[in-house]
This record gives sequence, C-alpha cells and structure tokens, in this order.
Amino acid sequence: MSGPIPAGSTSRLITLHEAILAALLVAVLAFAAWLEPSFIGLNTQRELSTHAIELALLSIPTCLVIVSGGIDLSVGSIMALAAVVLGMLHESGINMGVGALAAVAVGAAAGSLNGAFVAAVRVHPLIVTLATFAAFRGLAEGVSLGRPISGFPDFFLRIGSGMALGVPLSVLMVLLIAAAGLVAVRRSVAGAWVYAIGDNERAARYCGIPVDKVKIALYTLNGAAAGLAGVLYVARRNTAKADVGSGMELEVITAVVLGGTSIFGGRGTILGTLLGVALIHELRELVSWHWQHDELVRIVIGTILIASILLNNVVGWRRP
Amino acid sequence: MSLASSHPGPGSKRGSGARYLVVLSLLVATIVAVSLINPAFATVQNFRDLLGQCAPVVIVGCGMTLVVLTGEIDISVGSLLGLLGALIGVLSSPQRLGLPPPVVVGLVLMAGAAVGLLNGVLVTAGRVPSIIATLGMLTVLRGVTELIMGGEWITDLPPGIRVLGIGSAAGMPWCLWCAAAVSLMFVVVAHRTRYGLRLYAIGGNPAAAAMAGIHTSGVKTAAFALLGLMTGVAALVTVPQQSVVESGIGVGFELVVVSAVVVGGTSIRGGHGGITGTVLAALLLCGVRPMLVFLKLGETATYWERAIQGGFILAAVLLDHWARRDARGRAVGVIA
Repeated sequence: MSGPIPAGSTSRLITLHEAILAALLVAVLAFAAWLEPSFIGLNTQRELSTHAIELALLSIPTCLVIVSGGIDLSVGSIMALAAVVLGMLHESGINMGVGALAAVAVGAAAGSLNGAFVAAVRVHPLIVTLATFAAFRGLAEGVSLGRPISGFPDFFLRIGSGMALGVPLSVLMVLLIAAAGLVAVRRSVAGAWVYAIGDNERAARYCGIPVDKVKIALYTLNGAAAGLAGVLYVARRNTAKADVGSGMELEVITAVVLGGTSIFGGRGTILGTLLGVALIHELRELVSWHWQHDELVRIVIGTILIASILLNNVVGWRRP
Repeated sequence: MSLASSHPGPGSKRGSGARYLVVLSLLVATIVAVSLINPAFATVQNFRDLLGQCAPVVIVGCGMTLVVLTGEIDISVGSLLGLLGALIGVLSSPQRLGLPPPVVVGLVLMAGAAVGLLNGVLVTAGRVPSIIATLGMLTVLRGVTELIMGGEWITDLPPGIRVLGIGSAAGMPWCLWCAAAVSLMFVVVAHRTRYGLRLYAIGGNPAAAAMAGIHTSGVKTAAFALLGLMTGVAALVTVPQQSVVESGIGVGFELVVVSAVVVGGTSIRGGHGGITGTVLAALLLCGVRPMLVFLKLGETATYWERAIQGGFILAAVLLDHWARRDARGRAVGVIA
C-alpha cells in the first residue's frame, strides 16, 4: 500500500493482535447469541451503541497520545469541564451552537495546557495529567458548585438520540471521526511522526521531527475530543454536572491497551483501539443485560486487560 | 512512556533535599495564615483531627514512596483500601462472619500483603508495566469489593473493631500513633538499611543495579507487598472510625497518595526523593479541605479542594523544572 508506513506496524491491513481481538469479539457475540438471542438483534445493538460513543471518541486520540510515548489521565475531567461550560453558557441564555463550540474550545485549551507542560516544561505526562485530572475536575466542581444543569432544548437533545441512515446520529459522527483518524494516521507524514516519537524520541528529534509541536498538537486534539465527548454526553443525558466522565480515563486506557497499543509508545493502531472499545462495550452491555451485575463486568475487564499483556509477554513477540 | 528509565543528573539520595523544605515552609505558612484569619483553627483538638484525617494518606504514602522510588507505581491502593474495608466489615460483623478482632486484623493484613505481592509478581515476573497491572487490579478489586458487599452497607461493626478507629492512647487516636510509627519505620528503612539502598539503586539505574548483583525482582516485589500491607494497616485504623462500611471507600484515594509522593519530591522516574517529603506533602494536600472550611469562605469554597490540590502538583513540577535548570545551568531534557 502506498503512503508512509508507521514504524511499529506492519504493512498488512490487519495485525495479529487485531485479528485475535476481532475473533474474541465474534466469540463474545456468539456466546451472547446463545445466551440471550435478543441481545444481538440489530435494534438492540443500535440502541446500545450510543453507550459507547464517549469511550470510542476519547480512545482514538488517546491511542495516538500513548503511541507517542505519553499518557493522558485528564480526559474524563476535561469532559466534565466542557459539559459544565456548556451547561452554564446555556443557562445564561447563549445559543447552543455557540455553547457547543465553546465547550470544545475549552477542551482544546485544557488539552493544550497538558501539552505545554509535557513538551515545554518537560514534565512526565503521568504527573501533568494527574495534576490536571484533579485541577480540571476541581474547576468544574467549583464553577458549577456541584449542581446539575438540565433542561436543554429539543433540537440539541436530538443529536443525542436522533437517527440518520438507520444509525444513531452520534454513533455516525464518531464512526466518521474514527475513519478519518484511521486514514490520517496511516497515510500522513504526521502519523508517521507520532510513531517515530514514541519509538525513539531522541532519534526523532535528530531526524528533524518537530517533536514538541506534535506532542502539543496531540494533547490539544485529545482535549478537543474530550470536549466533544462532553457535549455529546449532555445531548444524550440532558444533564450537565461536574461528575460527568468520572472514571472514563481508566476505561479509555484499558480500551487502548487492550487494542494492542504499547504503554511505552511506538506501537498500536486505531483499528485495534476501536476493537478494544467494541469488546469492552459488548462485554459490559451483555453482563448488564443478562446478569444485571455490574461488579462482574469490572472483574472481567480488569482481568482481560492484565491477561492480554501477560499473554503477549509469554508468547514473546513483544518487548515488555 | 517508561517509568524506570535511567536519567542523568546527580544521583544523591536526597536529590530533592530542598523540596521538602519548600513543602514544610508552605505547610507552616498556610497554617499560620489560616490561624491568623480564624484563630479557632489553631487548637490542639483541631490539629489532632487534621492529623487524623491525614493518617491513611501518610501510612499508605510511605509504602507508595518505596514503590515509586524503584520506578514503578501502584494505582490500585484505593480499591484495595475499599476491599479491605469491606473485608473488615464482612469478617467482623455479627450478621456476616463475626470473627474475633485479632483474627480479623490478621486476615486483613495478610490480604493486603497478598494483593501487594500479586501486583509485584505481575510487574516483575509477568513483566506487565506497573501502570497497566495496577490499573487492571484497581478494576478487579473494586468489582470484588462490590461482590462481597452484596449491595448492602455494613452497619454493625463490633466494639472490638471500632476501638481501632475511635480508641486512643495517651490522648492520641490510634491512627496517629500508627502514622507516626510507620513514618519513622520507613525513614529508617529507606535511608538506613541495605534494602533502602537497593531501592534507590534500582530506581536510579535499573541496568546498573542488576549488573551490580541487586535482585531487582525481589526488591520490587517486596516494595509492592509492603505497600499492600500498609494499605491494610491504614484500613484497620480508618475504616472503623465510622460505624458504617460503605462500598465507595477509597475511590480517588490512590491519586491523593501519588500526589503526596510527587509533591513531596520523589521523582516519578525513580531514584530520587524520600519519606519525609511524602509525609509533609500528605499533610499539605489533606489540609486543603479543613483549611478551606476554617477560612469561612462559605459552603462553596470546599468545591475548590480538588482544583487546589491539582494546583499544588503543577506548582511542584514547575519548581522542579526551575530548580533543575539552575543546577545544570541549562534546561534539562534538551539534546546537548
């Protein structure tokens, strides 16, 4: 295939890890079909798919951040900040379109703060995003005084629940973004840069790659996506509160790592991440549907996360 | 993103020696400021309460400092605290298992150490990056906690267990005695034992440490197990303070602990830092909420607690950056 091939991926369309994930996904769905046939019906899946849009939307840019050798623990908090900003702007009578744009912009600004600390101040991304995880959510809590805001206009809520081409509008949006991301990363020079930085940052610098700018751009993009996820969440749930997205950051990292991205950077694909998201989503919904026991889901997902790395190490074709 | 990379720079054990002085002065300054604004803050009773609230963070923070010194991290301690709290309830409550207090204490400590050991094995033998291993454990442990709680809160802890939380000796509650003892013990371990030396060596340069004959896996696993044990201690002295054991205990706890370690001057890459800084930073971070209350800024002020804590961490890293710049005469990390 033409175009730059990112370091760490192969020239095949789909890697072994992704193939295994796809097989696992099919296995889970087959098991679900046997256990609860109504679950895999197209209508059910369509309705349930809206539960995963925030996870998918957040996981895609986070995958790129992790591939570049960083990490972002603040995505859930940025989501909350954006949601709160949207809510408060709406309350002061501002147009929803402007409010949504402002929310995404706030997300992007928050992300760029992360990027600035990581790239310019040269602080370890774990520490920066740990701090901003607390700071942004704290900001959301302080600004909104902890109270929920609801009563959003119908046309806005329809983004959350409306359909287009037989698929929920929000899901379509996320799928388009995913497709764009997939193509952009595989075929652009910037995509190759991200992998180069993750693989060997010093060498990337020597190659003349503008490492700092790329990093800032990645974190800003991550922040903007988190802002958008916050907007979509409010559209879906008709409520904006400072606890939006609590715990999302861990789910996102789980999905990304499950999808085959190495936490050390340099390896990982968006397709793998999407498969990871799908797997977590289906497992969670299946357990909810059949057993109504959320705690089982947590145990399963946590175990799968650890097991996937252990297996990789045992099989031996990845450096630990 | 590697946590245990070797890094240039002076490898002094007290590499951030100036840091804990900064934290100490900040702590003293804020205490003095709040006391001046609201004299009711400066009472023995109040300080005792404040210290009591910090106790779990101090106890677990000491264990966490050792783990971070080796270049690893453990974000599952919050969920472990929740699990051990639930275990205390289930083991001691007359409605559930109703075991005698000494047995409960022993079992809880063993459980904590066992989980820590598991984390250590996953990281060393399983070669799972510690952030992933403990992220997975965090989720699993939270699920197990909810499972054994069975969706109900436990409301009848027997007095033999409750005395751990609310009892006191010579005017100081048990949690304070524990925190003080643990801090002293860990200062000794980190700076006066060969084990401590090995910890710093592994964090400073893992490859060199291994070549020097240090049993890296053993040292790291021991650090994780010790952290789990400390979480058990923290659970035993704090959970019985309430008469109710609820399922949400410990959520977000790991972040306060890691923040205390980082603000206290221990480098996340390992090899630098110490216990003193962690303890002081724990007091500072946990003190934010009570200080906000006493500043009488109104109910809404406490909503800013998390923002302020995040601000402290950012300030700490900025300080680090400027300090390193001065020490080496140029910015660290630039290719030269």
